[in-house]
This record gives sequence, C-alpha cells and structure tokens, in this order.
Amino acid sequence: MSVDVKRAQGRAAPLAGYAAFVAAVVALPFLPVSPFVLHLAQSLCYTAIAVIGLNVLLGLSGQMSLGQAGFFALGAYGSALAALRLGWPVPVSMAVGTAVAAVGGAIVGVFALRTRGLYLAMATMAAGFVVEILSQRWVGITGGAMGLTGVPQIGGDAATFLALAAGLYLVVQIGADYVNDSFAGRRLRALRESEAFAASVGISVRRWRAVTFTGCAALAGLAGTLFAHQSGYVGSDAFTIRLSISLLIAAVIGGLGTRSGPLLGSLLLLGLVEFISGVEKFGPMIYGGILLTVLLLFPQGATGALVGWRRAPSRPSAPTERATAAGGRGLSLEGLPAGTSLTVESASKRYAGVKAVDGVSIRVAPGTIHGLIGPNGAGKSTLINLIAGLYRCDAGRIVIGTRDVTTLATADRARLGLARTFQNLQLIEALPAIDNVLLGMTRRRSLGSDFKDWLLRRDFEAAARTEALDILRFLGIEHAAPCLPRELSYGHRKLVELARAIAQRPTLMLLDEPIAGLNTVEAREIAHAVKQLRGLGATIVVVEHNMEFVMSICDAISVLDHGQLIANGTPDAVQRDERVVGAYLGAPAESAEVVA
Amino acid sequence: MTTMNKVLASMALACVAATAGTAQAQVKVGVIQGLSGPPAIVDFGESYLQGIKLALHDYQAKGGKTKIELVVYDDEANPQRAVSLANRLIQSDKVPVVIGTVSSGNVLAMSPIFQKAGVPLMAGPAVVTQITAQFINESPSYIFRCSMVNQFEIGALIDWSAARYKKIGLIHSTTGAGIFAANEVQEGLKGKGMQLAVVEAAAPGVNDLSAQMSKMRDAGVELVLNFHESYELPFRALARLNYKPVIAGPWGLSSTKVPEIVGKDAVEGTVMGQALDVTAGRAREFDERMRKEYGSAYRWPVVASLGYDAAQIVFKAVDRVGKPDPAAIRDAIENVDGIEAMSATPAKPFAKGDHECVDKKDVFLGVWKGGVVTRLP
Amino acid sequence: MESTIVPQLMITGLALGAVYALVATGFYITHLTVDKVNFGQGDFVMVAAFLMLSTRSAAIPVMLAIPLVMAGMLLLGLILERVAIRPLDGRRSSNVGAFAWILTTAGVAFIVQNIVELVYGKSSQYSPPLFSSDRNALVHVFGMRLVVEELLVIATAMLVAALFYLFMFRSRWGKNIRAVAYNPDAAALLGIDTRMIKVAVFLVASLLAALAGVLIGPLVTVQPHMGLILTIKALVVAAVGGLSSPIGILAGGLLFGIAEAGSNYVDSTFGDLYPLVAAMLLVALKPSGLFGERAADVR
Repeated sequence: MSVDVKRAQGRAAPLAGYAAFVAAVVALPFLPVSPFVLHLAQSLCYTAIAVIGLNVLLGLSGQMSLGQAGFFALGAYGSALAALRLGWPVPVSMAVGTAVAAVGGAIVGVFALRTRGLYLAMATMAAGFVVEILSQRWVGITGGAMGLTGVPQIGGDAATFLALAAGLYLVVQIGADYVNDSFAGRRLRALRESEAFAASVGISVRRWRAVTFTGCAALAGLAGTLFAHQSGYVGSDAFTIRLSISLLIAAVIGGLGTRSGPLLGSLLLLGLVEFISGVEKFGPMIYGGILLTVLLLFPQGATGALVGWRRAPSRPSAPTERATAAGGRGLSLEGLPAGTSLTVESASKRYAGVKAVDGVSIRVAPGTIHGLIGPNGAGKSTLINLIAGLYRCDAGRIVIGTRDVTTLATADRARLGLARTFQNLQLIEALPAIDNVLLGMTRRRSLGSDFKDWLLRRDFEAAARTEALDILRFLGIEHAAPCLPRELSYGHRKLVELARAIAQRPTLMLLDEPIAGLNTVEAREIAHAVKQLRGLGATIVVVEHNMEFVMSICDAISVLDHGQLIANGTPDAVQRDERVVGAYLGAPAESAEVVA
Repeated sequence: MTTMNKVLASMALACVAATAGTAQAQVKVGVIQGLSGPPAIVDFGESYLQGIKLALHDYQAKGGKTKIELVVYDDEANPQRAVSLANRLIQSDKVPVVIGTVSSGNVLAMSPIFQKAGVPLMAGPAVVTQITAQFINESPSYIFRCSMVNQFEIGALIDWSAARYKKIGLIHSTTGAGIFAANEVQEGLKGKGMQLAVVEAAAPGVNDLSAQMSKMRDAGVELVLNFHESYELPFRALARLNYKPVIAGPWGLSSTKVPEIVGKDAVEGTVMGQALDVTAGRAREFDERMRKEYGSAYRWPVVASLGYDAAQIVFKAVDRVGKPDPAAIRDAIENVDGIEAMSATPAKPFAKGDHECVDKKDVFLGVWKGGVVTRLP
Repeated sequence: MESTIVPQLMITGLALGAVYALVATGFYITHLTVDKVNFGQGDFVMVAAFLMLSTRSAAIPVMLAIPLVMAGMLLLGLILERVAIRPLDGRRSSNVGAFAWILTTAGVAFIVQNIVELVYGKSSQYSPPLFSSDRNALVHVFGMRLVVEELLVIATAMLVAALFYLFMFRSRWGKNIRAVAYNPDAAALLGIDTRMIKVAVFLVASLLAALAGVLIGPLVTVQPHMGLILTIKALVVAAVGGLSSPIGILAGGLLFGIAEAGSNYVDSTFGDLYPLVAAMLLVALKPSGLFGERAADVR
C-alpha cells in the first residue's frame, strides 16, 4: 500500500502509552518521594477523569457545560451517604454515587437538549449552582459546609487508593480514546459541526447529545466518589462554580479534543494551584495571567505545543489516473441499492408572510437525474430542505418510494436511504477526508469486535476503510484520503462530500449546488461522477444554476419561480418553454454562453 | 605562634564549633488560613495571621533560642485545598506543628490527618465546638484550639439575654454553622424555660435582610440575636423599618468593619461574645501596636489577639523542645504555662482533658460603646 | 403588619433586578455583534463601585465622579477587548472551542479582582449614598421608605433599555451594528468599519457596568468578591429575557428581581433557589427566552 493510504488507516490504541502509565503508577510508591506526591497523584487521577468527560462533551460534541461541579458533588455525596448512612461497602457506594450523578446528568440533559451555545452554558451553570445551594442548605442530608466526616477511606493506605484511582482513570482513558478514534468520535464531531448536517447523515442528534451529556456527568460523579473517599470528608464548600471553571480550564489548557489533553491539563492545573497556595497575595493574578497566556499563545493547549503543529500538513500526492468518460473504474461495491422514486405532492412552506414554496408537485422517476432550477429566491433550497426533512411542510406530502415521509425527522429519512450534500459544504474539518467518508457508513461490526480490533491494533475498521477508499477512487480522489479538508482544494472538498453521500448507500440523493464555485474541469468531473451513479441505478435530484451542467446531465428538469412550479419536463422542452425563458434563461442563444 | 597561643586558639575554635553546633536549630511552623475569598472568611484569616506575625516578631525580638520560620498557605476556604495542604505541610514540608484555619469545615476535614500523623494542630479561628471534642479522648490528642468557642459564647449570651428580655428573635445563615448555632441557642433558651419569638434564616450571600427584620419588628422582638455572617446587614435594614431593637450575637459583631459600614451610632449598645478587653493592660498596648503595625488593615482585635496567643503558645513550646519533634511539641503545648496572653486566655490554657485556650469562664460579653468594644458590665 | 413592607421589598427587588438588567444589556450587545460576552462583567461592576468609593473619599463631587468612573471603565473595556477578545478573532471554532472567550475574559476578571484586592484590601467597604451625607438617608413614597439609589437604578435601567431599543432598531448606527452581527464580511464590504464596531460594543458594555457599579454601591455590601454572583444572575436574566431585544432584557431583569425578593420573603432558607430553578425551566420550555427569537439552525 502507498504511504498515503497507510496514513489513511485508522488510529489504534496507544498501548505503549497505557503500559508506561501502569509502570509509573506501580513504581511511584517505591520512589524516594514524599507521600505528598502520592496524594497529588491520587488527586491527579480523579481530576483527569472529570476532565476526560468534559473533553468528550466539549471537545468532541461541542456542548458546553459550566455545571460539572454539580455532578461531581452528586457523586461525592451519593457515595459518602451510601457508605456512611447505609453502611454499604465502598465499591457499591461508589457505583451508587456515579449513578446518582448520571441521573442528575440525564435530567439536566433533558433541559439542555432544548438549548445550545451560550444558552446551554448558562443552563448548565444554573444547574451547578442549584446543586451547590442544595448541598449547602440541606444540612440534614449533606451536613452543609460542616460536611460529612468519617467517610470510609479505601484500603487505609495511600498506595492502594492510588492504584484504585489510577486504575479507574486508565479504564476511562481507554474508553475515551476508543470513542475518539471510532465511529462515535466521528458522529460526535459531526454533531459539533452542525446539528442539521449530523441529522442528514442519520445521526439521532437528541439521543447522542443526551447520552454524551449523561456520560460526562457520570464521569464527573465518579471523580467525586474518589474525592469523597480520598480524605474521608465531604463539605459543600468544595463544589462551587470555581470547580467547574477549573475543570474547564484544565480541559482547554491541556488541549481540547485531544487524547492526552485531560491528563496534561489536570497536571498543569494541580501544579498551578499548589504553586499559588504559597503566594496568596498574587494568587488570582498569576492564575488569570497564566490562563490568558496559554489561551492566547497556545490555542491548541499543551498537547498542541508539545506535539508541534500536529503533523506537517499532508499534501495530496500526484493524482493517479482519473476515471475517464470512457468507462473508468466501476464502483467495486456490492453495488448501490436501486434508486427509489420521489414524489412531492403540493408541498407548501411559508415563513414570515413569504410563501417560499407554494403547492409544488414533482415526480422523480427512479434511476434518473432530476434537475431543479430557478432564479435566485425561487425556493429551490427550501424545497430541498423540505424533502430532506430540515423543514416541515405546511401542507402537502413527501413520498420516498412508497413511504410517506412527510412527518419523518431528518435522521430517520437519512436512515431510509436519503443522502444529501450541502450548498455551503459540510464536512468535519477536524478529520481527514477518509473519515468524513466513513461518517456516511452505517456500522457493520458489533461494538465489541470493533473495540477489540482497536485495542489490539488488528486492522481497525479495515473493511470500512477499504470501501471508503474505493469510493474515493471512484471519484478520482483516492490520494486525498489522509488529508484534512482545509488541505484540499475546494473542488476536491466537494468531491469528498459527494463521497460521503455515496457512502450512505442512498436510494435517493439530493445534491444542493454541487458545482457552485468549481472551475469547468472540476465541474466536468462531478458531472461524470453523477452520471456514473445514475448508471449504477441511483436516483439523484440536483439543484443547480449552471445551465450547461443541468442540461447535460439531467433526464428531467423542474423549474421554480417565486415558489411555484412553472415548468416540468425534458431539458429540451424546458429550455424552449416560454415561461422559463422569460423567468430565467433569457434568449436561447445567450444561455449557451452562460457557462464557462 | 607560641604553644600557649596555640592552645588558646584551639580552645577558641572549639568554642565556636560547639556553639555553631547547638546554635539556631531551625523549626518550621505551618500556617493554613483562609486568605482569599469572601470577606466573611478573609477578615478572620487575615486578622488571625496578623496576630501570628506580630507574635513571631515579638518572639524574635525577645531572642528565642530556636529559629522559627512560618510556612503560610492559603486554603481558599475549600476543604479539598485544606486537606491537600495539610498533607503537604506534614509530608513535604515536614513541619512539626500547624496553626489554622478559618472554616470549621476545613478544620474538621484536616484534623483526622493531623491526629493520625501525630502532628499537633492549633486550630483557629474556627469556632465550632466539635473541633477539640472530636479527638479529646484520644491519648494523646493532637488537636488544640485557640479561638472563640461557639458553645461558650452562646452560653454567655443566653444567660445574659434570658434575664433581660422577654421577646427574643434569632436570625441565622442557612449554612451548617448557622443552623448549628441556631439549634444551640434554642436548646439553651429552652433550658431556661423560654422560647424564641421569631426565627428567620437567610442565605449566606444575601444583600438585604429587610424581609427578615420586618418579621422581627412585626412580632415585637426586643432583642435580635444575629448569627448571620454578614454582621452589618441587620443594622442596614433597621433604618428602613423604623425599628430599633438591641442586637446581639457572636464575636463577629466586634469587627471594626461593622461600625465602619453602618456607623458608630447604629452599633452603640450591641452586645457580643468576647475574649478581649482592649481597655485594660496588655490588651490595650497590643491594640495600639497592631494599629501602628497594620493601620487600617487591622480590623478585628479579638481575632488578632487570639492569633497572637495561639502563636505565642506554639512558639514557646517549640522553643522549649528546640527541635522539630511533633510528639514533644505536642506535650510542650499541652503543658505550657506562664503565657502572658493578650486575649482572655489564661496563663496555663491547656490540660490533658482540656484543649481549649479560652474556656467557659474566660469568655465574657462585650458591648460597643463610643466606637470601642468594652466589657459588658 | 405594616402594609407597605411588601411593596417596599418589591422595590428593593426591582432595583437589584435593574442592576442585573444593566449588566445583561452589556451581554446583549456584545453577544449580538461578536457572539462573545465578558464573563467578568460582574467584576467590572465591582471595579466601578470601588472606583466610585475612591472618588468619594477623595471628596470629588458626585457629578464629576460619575464621568471619571465611566472614563476609567472605558479604559478597562478597551483593555479587555484588546487582550481577551480580539486575539480570538478568526480562531477556528472547531478545536479550541467556540468558548475560549469564557476563559480569556475569566482570566481578565481574576487579574482585575486581584488588583482591587491589593489596592483596597479584601474586606467589605462602606459605600456612601450618592446625594446625601447621611448614611441612612431615605425617601418617603406612599408610606414606603426607599433608598434614592433604588429608584435611580430602576429609572436608569428603563432609560437605557429604551435608548438601546431606539438606537439598535431605529438608527443607522444600530443597523450597522446589526449588519456586522449578521455577516461581518458583507458589512465590511459595504464600507462599515467592523473593527471599530467590535471595539465599540465592548466599550458600551463597560459603560453599562460603570452605571451599574456607581448605583449599586449604596445598595449592597461592596467587596471584591461580589462580581461573580452578579455575572451569574445577569446571565440567567439574559437567558430569561432572551438576547434579542433590550426591552426583553429589562423585562427579564425586573421579573427576576421581583421573583428573588418575593421568594426570599416567603421562604428565606431556599429563597434564592426558586428563581434559578424557574429560570431554568423557562429556558427549557422557551430556549430563546421570553422575548427572544429563535435562530433556526438550518442551511
């Protein structure tokens, strides 16, 4: 395999790293360091656990939480109370604490689902605040600021506790690394890019957001249980918003969205806090100053600073022979599923008094390329979004094949076989092209086998990657597989998006302005690819402005103007239709010059 | 050089070597205080530390044999920090004795660590009764305290108020400490066959106590017991309510910040638990010296005086032992005598079953008169 | 029971709510333009309150002191934008997170707070009434005993909301700002000085903090740690009122203030909890706030 393709292979578990960590933990109690270092190491482990959760939540799925201290508190109190008042053994009480935090996370998550961005930050902050107030005032249960004393400690020996904390940390780190490298990481990153985009590749946005949120809360809770049993004391003064902010700081200065970020960031945070304890006059200033400096100078965090600029930007190698019009390489998959028909019946959509789409009816025959054209503002994008499910029709029906999908959500339509590309190009910027293609594929291996492959470095996602490479090869951009989107030309990025759509094995494809911004050569490549897809039986709806493109590849064309369908038929018929000419094309002689 | 000169020279060298060996043993004393955060914490922490530092200054001026160095850490009123710092002082800095801290919760979190490690802790200015009680029956017990004790000042307040007032109201903060104090007050009054007319609570960070004070007024309360940590807030509400009860409470009311914020006239006649009378003797001199040394940063005479005495005791014990031996220092503290205290701490504050500097008999009530806190007659 | 106690408490509540609204209006304008807010806005209010204190102890007359404080805060706002906001311009939102500004502005807040502590000490300070030398000066209205600053701050908040509304929605400058908010590149191409507008909104926010700080001093206990809780409550108010309209924010603030006062009167133990929970529920039901417009997330 070529070097490029090898780089396109999936990442695998950094087993060496894990082994080194275990060795360090085992060795630490025997080193000639003061027992205080053990205490710090314990704190490092559980802080890192909480930060890992935040790293997944914010770094991967793009959801902000300023209320992690609340879940930390729930875990700490849950475990402390179960051990102290109910007398349960510590492992059980820790599980209880983590569960309580998870439940709290699920509840807040339900609220959080309705918000995003700054509002989400504010909602989570308020939630954390509520927990803080409750833990301070509900003295009967929590002991308030005086707290709960005598919480059972573990093993009675610092080394034992360290082993437990480190062990739990390692498990969580391995899990997080797997999420990062696998299909889950791809989907979370898609979520972060745009929820509409994520839905269009079949991701149940609400479910993923809720699960991630709950998971992050559970991890904070687990960290809280360890904290409770570390010193045997739990008091409400430990769970203020300052803790939430500290965890966020650790996540960011370590390097958000990276593997080693949480551990590094926690280390830096703890070191900083210990350092400023002795200089309390200038403590906050130093803290704030370092925070600002790191954020401004090292936006990638410590991990970014250490690793240099990730890797040298890969430049695509010389392209191998493209698929030519004369036949090219066929799609070597088990073939795309046969395309279905699409029927739009009297669809209407209005907003703020404007009727964007007014009683439009279209029928797209299976295995054909159907063009949708019209002047600016005619309602083409709206119609596409209605078909895709991003908007709800005010009236009318959308039927894919025999299935009425009018009330179906975007993700469900995607799972039925609807794939689309976007006018403004939606790709996961943080992942290479091949991972973007993989995003479109449904998972065919079970979770267990996938995890084992990843852990043991055994051809992780091999089958899927081969298929993705085939699709890229089909489009002539195999060489671009290991490149990040920003390292590719605009034209190639559009091809990557098309590859993702193909990877979804769609029965119906919606291409929204697929050649906008491309030069003639690139446009011809796309035209060729689309025709080949039709040759394989796909049904494709294309929205485009470029007449040469539309006329050359479409089997049928619908023309919209001011939200209404004004013409529908073969390219020739439409081209000659007076109403179309009048609305859009101008004199027939001019239209031939419009392109190029 | 003649033989005699050689002999003399060697003897001189030997003397120098001998004194160099025994001179200036160095002992570190750890200090954990709440030095950052809201004023409710920082006023205590900084004042206590001011007292400690003045005591160190005096110790060095008097020529203590053992060289003492303070290792000061800020626990940010966070129990996680307090525990971590306790570990750090014991295991990393290897100090044989620690003084601290403000928040009772933090002291309760730290004390098991000290008891287990066999390192004496001089707690202060935390007030909760439990602090010494927790380990007093251990033999030996490593936890001492040099600070006001909740139980004692509440006892004094109850004795005084029950005799003079029929309608008594209580306002407390909704934190554990506030609720705890409220319970102790209620128990105490019940023992006298009395009951509180009104009990109100408020969140610690609240900005205005008008609502609570209006309920006091409407019930005709003559004496308001203020156990809320914003000591000045009840006074601020009074003007708006056209209400002038007597206000009494814990030692917090003796902070000079209170009259600074609400005016000397408003606090006139307010009563509080006290352990320092600045109108007499050593205490007056101490008060003047603190003012000279710290200026307007000196704001809490009684807390500073207890910090001074706590440090005095510790330094005397350390000097007696002469080396960083925690067990010996603990014994020395327990047996220390001849303390010339600034506060009401007696000359021999501790005994085997008593690790409180200031006992019930030492606590008295103070009252604001003409801008100064004097002993209530 | 004196019947005026409840209305009196309500006015106090409204006054605090007005403070939150002033702070939140600062959030509104910066969020609108650059999608970021100053997480240390409450600390800015605190600085203004302390600056006001200094001018008073230097016996500077109030009418001169207020502009001085505002000037000081403008400078602070300038520094904030330069140090904590501008460097984040054009940062890719993918990796560092579209939320780096939370931490940079929080960093500035830590530094500012430390400086105040070094200069003024960490204790609470007495802040004298603006227009009287009598620390217990009261104004009698309908049998209620009110503090002048309470009425002032409510009036100021209303005035500010009205002015902002007119400015943002009826003036050309306001249209320019909204253009920058909608599409900075297009606005730039139209000849609008986007750089200047981005700086200006932070200056305006600092001025609002200055106003709030000057007026809040006599109402609460001024101490270096009062900022964070103000920021949090103002953010909640912004969420409740919605970040789309200054009138909405005013309404949100006043509502929250009354809810706080009423809830504390009824249940003093958990009183401050209820408005928060209510706000959270509100945001869950109507995510863009009572008066906000939902921005659809579609392409």
